[in-house]
Amino acid sequence: MGSPCELVCEAPKRAHALRLTGRVAAEAWRIEEKFSRYLEGNIVARINAASGKTIEVDEETADLLDFAVTLYDLSEHRFDITSGVLRRVWRFDGSDCIPGVSEVEAVMQLVGWHRVSWQRPYLQMPAGMEIDLGGIGKEYAVDRCAALIREEGGDPCLVNFGGDLVATEAPDRRRHWKVAIEGDSATEADRIVNLKQGALATSGDARRFLLKDGRRYSHILDPTTGWPVPDAPRSITIVADTCVEAGAVSTLAMLKGAAAEGFLKAQTAAFWCRR
Amino acid sequence: MSKQDNRSISAALATATCTLLGSGVVQPAVAQEEPDWDFNTSLLYYGEDGDRVKDFSVSAIARRMFVDDRFLTLSLTVDGLTGATPSGAIRQDVPQTFTRPSGNAAYTVPGGVLPLDDTFKDTRVAISGGWQQPIGETSLINVGASASKEYDYMHLGVNAKYARDFNQRNTTLSAGIALSMDSLDPVGGAPTPLTPMLDVGDTSNRLGDQDKDVLDVVFGVTQVISRNLVVQANYSYSMSDGYLTDPYKVLSLVDGTTGDTLLRTLTPGVEGPSHQYLFENRPDERTKHSLYGQAKYYMNGKVLDASYRYMTDDWDIDSHTVDLRYRIPFGTDSYIEPHLRFYTQTEAEFYQLSISDAQPLPSFASADYRLGDFDAITAGVKYGWRTRNDNEMSLRVEAYRQAGTVPGSQIIGNQASRDNYPDLNAVIVQFGYRF
Repeated sequence: MGSPCELVCEAPKRAHALRLTGRVAAEAWRIEEKFSRYLEGNIVARINAASGKTIEVDEETADLLDFAVTLYDLSEHRFDITSGVLRRVWRFDGSDCIPGVSEVEAVMQLVGWHRVSWQRPYLQMPAGMEIDLGGIGKEYAVDRCAALIREEGGDPCLVNFGGDLVATEAPDRRRHWKVAIEGDSATEADRIVNLKQGALATSGDARRFLLKDGRRYSHILDPTTGWPVPDAPRSITIVADTCVEAGAVSTLAMLKGAAAEGFLKAQTAAFWCRR
Repeated sequence: MSKQDNRSISAALATATCTLLGSGVVQPAVAQEEPDWDFNTSLLYYGEDGDRVKDFSVSAIARRMFVDDRFLTLSLTVDGLTGATPSGAIRQDVPQTFTRPSGNAAYTVPGGVLPLDDTFKDTRVAISGGWQQPIGETSLINVGASASKEYDYMHLGVNAKYARDFNQRNTTLSAGIALSMDSLDPVGGAPTPLTPMLDVGDTSNRLGDQDKDVLDVVFGVTQVISRNLVVQANYSYSMSDGYLTDPYKVLSLVDGTTGDTLLRTLTPGVEGPSHQYLFENRPDERTKHSLYGQAKYYMNGKVLDASYRYMTDDWDIDSHTVDLRYRIPFGTDSYIEPHLRFYTQTEAEFYQLSISDAQPLPSFASADYRLGDFDAITAGVKYGWRTRNDNEMSLRVEAYRQAGTVPGSQIIGNQASRDNYPDLNAVIVQFGYRF
């Protein structure tokens, strides 16, 4: 998942903790292997290499694709799992390398869910296009692991995959989990959230941007234009019942750019937005 | 697609999430940002029985948390003290008249009654500040400063503590140091030690300001033994240097045979003491060594906290303290905590009930009951609960009883028939509110 994944658990017995950790790790690896766009031979690789042919997908993949479609609709097409190819021209390395308009336009020919035919369970996509479930896969893995823990008896656990996390319930001897949210540098916390139970997800990465002529380009790309969303917050942290929901709200808010706070205020979820 | 209403987005997301994750039971999220400040306030009443000391104390501790476990702590305490305290003079069958510490007036105590000095009224204001900061992954440093002021006393102090975790954070070693520089400006001036209490208006035996310095050093180890047990041991050393005498305490100068306080010849028309009293004198150094052990044991929500302290000093006072607390949860939001404390000490080598005119004048002497041989017990209970908005309140009620004895060898003549050690009963009521 491209980030450190951890499970903090309070189990009555060491053996129980080990078994829980084993199951959670196995589930995380399963999801990683199945949906990572960096791996060969999995369902994502098969879809991306189909060269226009129709692919039949399994139930779980279909569920994730359906969810992605919902986000696509809710975001006025700004959340788009085919937008990953924009990374070929946009590299957010802190430099001033802004791609040319023609370069962006060329890649944009391969972006857009509207070019894809999705009739569950059949997916057909023009050759050269790619999907990337990275925008929802990690949060999905966190929620799946939390569900496993509840199945196993529901010991107080914190599932934390690179900052997207779920607390199954408050720790035994404390009132809540203390979650520090990273600031500009990885070693300094920006704020501390007391999480009793529920999910917390953060979108945005204050260290990934481009800077040219005094203008900051955030790494949040708008797939309808091919350009970074103007005035996107540096980071948004959301509390929700599930990690998938928290991740979705924070991503949708990011894509709103300057209107992010207004959008978030209308939601019921607790949020912290950093400019 | 047309512009979505933000609320319908919420609903659509919730439905989509539910479809994706299935209908597992998910509890609603509960989270809030860690507040920057937290405040711990308390109101305390300490009342000794009869006309003796009463203390009303208000205190507030404010703690500001910064990221990365750095803390700023500020505290303010205001005490209002009233009441009377034993002067050190012994009971007589006849009334006794004393000059007030100010030297400006006199007061009379009826026969058979323990002489108390009722001029004891003061307001004390104390402030302190501290900063805590981790150093690297396993160390922690605390630095602080404190000051307090009352009418006749001023304290300034600085302190520092270093703690380091070892053994996967199961062992913590710590070392601390505190320095205190105090100055005293007793009402009417500090009396020259072992000189007589003089007539009203006569200040010929009064000295100027006094001061004392105190150095405290503590070394400690805390060890996690198991999931349920944490133990701690400390050694502390304390060295006081300077004016350690109580300027308001006296001793009765008594007849070596009868044990009665010697009468004094009064100058006509001048108010003054009816009997002969000498101001006390203590050594100007005191070195204490303490060993402290504590164990906290957790069992099914209940916590037993037991500690023992042994203290010995070069004034020959040895003391033992056993303190027991047992915290029992009541439901999820409240607890009850019975508390018992036992204390016993031996008397200081220069403690004496009175000074006999048949013996040479000692270099040091004090009849302060706090330096005598006594036992004390504190028994009480604390009830704590969490308020609806997640703040904590507590109410503590305790009774304190102190009873002492004067060694038979110090009792002269008629003193044997009198109650010589001023026993003490007190109640403590404290209300705490943390938010």
